[in-house]
Amino acid sequence: MAIAETISSPLAARAVTASKIYGQDDNEVRALDGISVEFARSRFTAIMGPSGSGKSTLLHCLAGLDRVTAGQVFLGDIEISTCKEKQLTLIRRDRIGFVFQAYNLVPTLTALENMTLPMALAGRKPDKEWFDSVVDMLHMRDRLAHRPSELSGGQQQRVAVARALMSRPEVIFADEPTGNLDSRSSTEILTFMRGAVRSLDQTIVMVTHDPVAASFSDRVVFLADGKIVDEMSDPTSDGVLERLKSLGN
Amino acid sequence: MFRLTWKGLLAHKLRFALTALSVMLGVSFLTGTNVLTDTITKTFNEMFANAYAGTDAYVRARSKIDSQFGTQRARIDGSLLPQIRTIDGVLDAQGTLAFYAQMADSSGKPIGQPGRGAPTFGFNWVPDGKLSPWKLVSFKGVESAAPASDDEVVIDKASAHLGNLKIGGKVRVLTQLAPKEYMVVGVAMFGTIDSPGGASAVMMTTREAQRITAPPVAPDVPAQTNQFDAIAVASRPGISQEEMALRVRDVVGEPARYEVLTGAQVTAETQSEIEKSLSFFRIGLTIFAYIALFVSIFIIFNTFSIIVAQRLRELALLRAIGASGRQVMFSVLGEAVLVGLFASAAGVIGGIVVAAGLKAMLAGFGIDIPTGDVVVARGTVLLAMVVGTLVTTLSAILPARRASKIAPVAAMRDVALEPNTRKARWTIIGLVLTALGTCALFFGLFGGPSNGIAFVGLGAMVIFLGVAVLGPTLARPVSKVLGWPVARLRGITGELARDNAVRNPRRTALTAAALMIGVALVALITIFAASTKASVSVAVDRAFKADYVIDAKGGGFGGGFSPELAKRVAALDEVSAASGLRFGAFKVDGGTKFIVSADPKAMGDLFDIDPVAGDFPALGVNEIAISTKIAKDLKLEVGSRLPVQFLTAEDMTVGAIYAAGQREGLSDYFISLEAFDKRYPERIDNQVLAHLAEGVTPAAGKRAINEVLIDYPTAELQDQAEFKQSRLDQINMFVNLIYALLALAVIIAGIGIANTLALSIVERTRELGLLRAIGMTRAQLRAAVRWEAVIISLFGAAMGLVVGLFFGWAIVEALKSEGITEFVPPGPQLLVVVAIAVFVGVLFALLPARRAARLDILKAIEAE
Ligand SMILES: Nc1ncnc2c1ncn2[C@@H]1O[C@H](COP(=O)(O)OP(=O)(O)O)[C@@H](O)[C@H]1O
Ligand SMILES: [Mg+2]
Repeated sequence: MAIAETISSPLAARAVTASKIYGQDDNEVRALDGISVEFARSRFTAIMGPSGSGKSTLLHCLAGLDRVTAGQVFLGDIEISTCKEKQLTLIRRDRIGFVFQAYNLVPTLTALENMTLPMALAGRKPDKEWFDSVVDMLHMRDRLAHRPSELSGGQQQRVAVARALMSRPEVIFADEPTGNLDSRSSTEILTFMRGAVRSLDQTIVMVTHDPVAASFSDRVVFLADGKIVDEMSDPTSDGVLERLKSLGN
Repeated sequence: MFRLTWKGLLAHKLRFALTALSVMLGVSFLTGTNVLTDTITKTFNEMFANAYAGTDAYVRARSKIDSQFGTQRARIDGSLLPQIRTIDGVLDAQGTLAFYAQMADSSGKPIGQPGRGAPTFGFNWVPDGKLSPWKLVSFKGVESAAPASDDEVVIDKASAHLGNLKIGGKVRVLTQLAPKEYMVVGVAMFGTIDSPGGASAVMMTTREAQRITAPPVAPDVPAQTNQFDAIAVASRPGISQEEMALRVRDVVGEPARYEVLTGAQVTAETQSEIEKSLSFFRIGLTIFAYIALFVSIFIIFNTFSIIVAQRLRELALLRAIGASGRQVMFSVLGEAVLVGLFASAAGVIGGIVVAAGLKAMLAGFGIDIPTGDVVVARGTVLLAMVVGTLVTTLSAILPARRASKIAPVAAMRDVALEPNTRKARWTIIGLVLTALGTCALFFGLFGGPSNGIAFVGLGAMVIFLGVAVLGPTLARPVSKVLGWPVARLRGITGELARDNAVRNPRRTALTAAALMIGVALVALITIFAASTKASVSVAVDRAFKADYVIDAKGGGFGGGFSPELAKRVAALDEVSAASGLRFGAFKVDGGTKFIVSADPKAMGDLFDIDPVAGDFPALGVNEIAISTKIAKDLKLEVGSRLPVQFLTAEDMTVGAIYAAGQREGLSDYFISLEAFDKRYPERIDNQVLAHLAEGVTPAAGKRAINEVLIDYPTAELQDQAEFKQSRLDQINMFVNLIYALLALAVIIAGIGIANTLALSIVERTRELGLLRAIGMTRAQLRAAVRWEAVIISLFGAAMGLVVGLFFGWAIVEALKSEGITEFVPPGPQLLVVVAIAVFVGVLFALLPARRAARLDILKAIEAE
């Protein structure tokens, strides 16, 4: 499971006939229904679909936060669907970055501490140059000593993105990162994310229901009832909207 | 509204259980104390009712000496007995005698443990009939007989078993005379039990008992061989007890000298004496129960404050949809009442278990108590229910009031935290409370009010409250300081722990305050014990000139020796001076005082007494020696008359004045052994002190004295160092008992820590989920929770240590005149106290830490 090996794989993450079933018998819900999907390295992929289509479930399974009921999930070449909880924790800490819709930050820690939290947990020091470049890119230099309660929603999400970038993870997973933001802050965050993919070779997988957000990505996959129903490269917001409509949303 | 409360409770079972547990423990202890004392009381009551069951009238002397060790009464003239027997309607009348008598088995081992509570009695044998509770039984197939000659005895069945004695065998009996061997002719049971309350009893002919108890022949007092402690009278059927008492009173006459009681009166009096002597025990244990409940107050208050804060939005929503402030308040109070009722009920049940546990614990500390069937009085249950429910409900009033003031708009707000801003007002209130408490404490200790203890207790309580109110102000800076090394050492885990501890200063402070109480009291006892021990050591070193002390095994007040022992030791060539040492009580200057008696001629060799006036060694039988302090206080000099009362009032002459200072075994009043013999019915040496002759090696001296001690199996020879150690051991035993009782307060504080952490974890579900999502391992999360507990308990221990040091200093200062001359805060032991507090914190953090680590990440990050 050497890093070199995973790096060598052209795919950052993939699911192979993955299923996720909640409940039993009559109450059974197939959140993921034998889904197979691949996410290329250094690409910005958006996952879209109607509410309840399994977007978050897919993301959670890909990120090692949840387990599939059947099928396989890989991060690079590591099959994380068979990893033990402890290994998963370390993989999340060292190889994956997260941005959630809200409550991304630890309220008692400063912005700086929040950004470097995964490295602190690993007992590592952040690379100074990298740290500086991320902070400057996100224009957070003068907010480093502030606590989350002293930051605006947009700034909080920027800290979350910075944290995700800080350990140079193989993939950043983001679940509706702009869901709680106004359009200006959204645009800012999405621009940064796209910038990270373009100039830093970062891989990002993002769930969103906003066609405008999706238009920042390189590729959109459409989900419905736990299956991939379509995909689109180099999307525009109008194109995405069109496609969503045709999916009956 | 009630349904909402009920559902809320069911939804938070752990919170409910932990809150209830803290109250339940205190209630259990309270109930346990009452159940145990009621049970013991009932056992004794039945025993005495049994003992006097056939007694209709009872004659005894009026003059007596009361002291904390019991009552000693003058004896009455045996010539009354034939007169009483001729009274019309008298079925039987018997003279009774009770005295110290220690049996030893065939190998010379003493039977029973006189040093550990249960007394060892000698009685005159009263024939089977209405006037004796003792009934002869056959033992190991051999029939019993009453003692017919002066070397025959009947013994209680328990002792027969314990000493492996048999009818027809021999038993050695130690009394105030020289040891004597008797033939066991009978075994008796006390009603239906083998022995009353674990006491041993050896019963002999009346003549032999009178020989043993005959007062000594002092130069001016002729021997009185026909005396009884009392005469018990049984009537023929159809005569009331009152009527019989009247008839006996007529015959006995001399109402100034004799009193005649009915059987019912004697029973009631004895029972109330037992009740009184047990009340000390009951009050002592009850104090610890209330300490525990006091600690619970903090925990309940804290829990409800946190709950209200966490339910802010829910409660605001209720307000928004039309619930009144009162309704919200009552929904919170309702929860408290339910918790209180449940906890109290569980506490009552737990109390019955605690009673058994307490009994076992006290037995472990050498206090053996006889008990019969468990008594759960209605009053006990009622008290437990009322106290438990009140404590819980009252503690929740402030949080409930806060809940009622939540504005409906809070439903739309985002963050729900307790008010973090401290009003300066609270700091002032805390300071004022602390100052007031200190005043009450000082007044109780130094102001000399009659109910000093009450003031000390009240003062301590108010100080605790004051410091607790100051707590939140202190919490932030102190936790930061205490957390600094944690953060430095443990990296991000430690940092998170510290930040969480500082985050809600109120919460941290209240949790820590609960622990503070236990730590402060433990520290106080530790300091007090160390100071007492140091003082005892100093006193023994300074005042003791005797080389050897002969003490009753196990210490205590139960045992003693015949004066024969001291005489034989004094007669040894190896010994230059020896004397029995006796302690007694008498009345002087309007109060009951402690008096010491020994041979004044030997005293100079045994103690450093510094006579300053008069001829101490030549102290006469009607003379008393007093300390310089008393001479000054009562303005006395050698030759002054001092009115005193032993059994009867008299004037004694001050024969000598000595500078006692404060010395082990030497009080403010001293009389010679002859003087003691003349004034007390029982002449038993509590200790014997000996000084070796010039040139005798310790080994040779010890060998010679031990030779004598072979005849006295309860005697233990100690050199100065051993004697000192045995005193220190006694203190340790007492201190350990208190530690064990205070453990309850510390455990409840531990539950408080668990509860606070558990609630905080629920509150931080999202945050913990986030931490787990971005790669915090379970171990790291557990560690963070544990370190938070460490910081909280360090904070509590620090406050407790400061308060405990202050209390310890104040109390030692107040007891300077009582012989505690040294103030010794023992550093290492206090560090151990802190370590234990931290250990308790970590221990009680284990469960919440596990829960935090077990948290389902997805649920956590999706939690609303
Ligand atoms: N813990 C759960 N238990 C049961 N059903 C769940 C659970 N989580 C998600 N689901 C169901 O799985 C389906 C997919 O949910 P989700 O992945 O959250 O959808 P999306 O993010 O696309 O809105 C939905 O029907 C949802 O109700
Ligand atoms: Mg979703």
